[in-house]
Amino acid sequence: MQNLIDFIVKYKHWFLFLLLEIFSLSLMFRFNSYQGSVFFTTANSMVGGIYSTVNGVTSYVSLGDVNARLEADNEQLRAEIYEMKRVLAERHIDTLRFNGFERSKFRFIGAKVVNATLQRSNNTLTINKGEKDGIRPEMGVICSSGVVGIVYLTSTNYSIVIPLINTNSKVSCRLGKSNFFGTLEWHHGDPTRAQMVGVPLHAKIKKGQLVETNGFSDIFPSSIPIGHVESVETAPDGLSHMITVQLSTDFNTLQNVSVITNYFHAERRLIEQQADSLLEDDGNADLL
Amino acid sequence: MGYTTLLRIARMATLLIVQLVILNHLHLFGYATPLLIGYMMICFDTSTSRTTSLLWGFATGIIFDLFSNTAGVGAASCTLLAMVQPYLLKLYMPRDVNELFKPTIQTLTLQKYICYILSCMGVIHFAFYMLQAFTMADFWLTLGAIIGGTLLASLFVVCIEFIIHNKKEDTEVISGQ
Repeated sequence: MQNLIDFIVKYKHWFLFLLLEIFSLSLMFRFNSYQGSVFFTTANSMVGGIYSTVNGVTSYVSLGDVNARLEADNEQLRAEIYEMKRVLAERHIDTLRFNGFERSKFRFIGAKVVNATLQRSNNTLTINKGEKDGIRPEMGVICSSGVVGIVYLTSTNYSIVIPLINTNSKVSCRLGKSNFFGTLEWHHGDPTRAQMVGVPLHAKIKKGQLVETNGFSDIFPSSIPIGHVESVETAPDGLSHMITVQLSTDFNTLQNVSVITNYFHAERRLIEQQADSLLEDDGNADLL
Repeated sequence: MGYTTLLRIARMATLLIVQLVILNHLHLFGYATPLLIGYMMICFDTSTSRTTSLLWGFATGIIFDLFSNTAGVGAASCTLLAMVQPYLLKLYMPRDVNELFKPTIQTLTLQKYICYILSCMGVIHFAFYMLQAFTMADFWLTLGAIIGGTLLASLFVVCIEFIIHNKKEDTEVISGQ
């Protein structure tokens, strides 16, 4: 401590000089606008440079934490990618999306319409896929906008489809959101409209309401659009509505279709036939 | 308050009055103003303590600033000269002098005295004009002001020294008769 005091006493004139100079310069910067502005501008730029350097050093020091966070993110992303790959491997890509679609039950076979008759009462479509491609009668045919029809006859390479605009066509359908069921029929004439019959009179029907498949027939999955309600009338029998439906499918420009294959359909048909025959046998026995 | 202090106060007052009233309005080549107030520090002899010379220098400078609207510039320059003056004097004074040494033409010889004056005046003018310019953009203009002011102020100091020297000689002659 004594040495420190001796040092200060010995060089007191230097300390005094520094003190007086600092005081003089502070006066100069305080009361001379030019020197003050130059000083403060330079000081600001120097302080900015110092802050920048400090920030750079701090950033460099904290790179470890950043690296750890990135590693954690990478781990999470890797896990997600693996999970997505696993899920994708179990899925089959399809261009059609339907609510309640059962992927394991239905498969789709793409086909092109090679011939079509639209002016007759028994209109048909010819598609370029047949038995060789796995197509069988009573398979549903759809396109990107909705239901097209049902396969009627098949050959090795071609199939005949009965479209919705065929007087023999009957497709089970429902009104969207209300779950009232009916049957779609076509009564010769306009190829853009069909009639939905069998809807009870108490059903509230709105114009523009969606008409879609109900999935009962096992030919079409449920919720495939058919068209929209255009007008509602009372059926000739007076017990139900007859709804005119604006069809979603434009048969005049139809080119690409998909055939819905349901290989469980035959099994279902078989067991239903067995049940019917058994019930008939039981009925006969009772009568006897 | 001793004689030396009174003499310094009188010298400081005189120099400041001359500087503020006359020399501040004298601009050689349009910009070189001689700072005669440096003579205040130039006169300090070897017996003057560093602390004392610094305080006198600062006082001279701050008073000059008060009336010249150069806040802090004069004070910083004068304080700097007060700090380096003993070192400059040591450069020119004879080496074998151990007692009190006062820088005059008689003690230093004219040549060394002029060099001493030029050095001291160079320091104060350099500090003053560099602080006032506070940029290197007009360096040559600033250098011209430094050199011009130094030469002019040195000339004044030498003249003052001659006048004082002649007065002393006249006084001595009269007292001898």
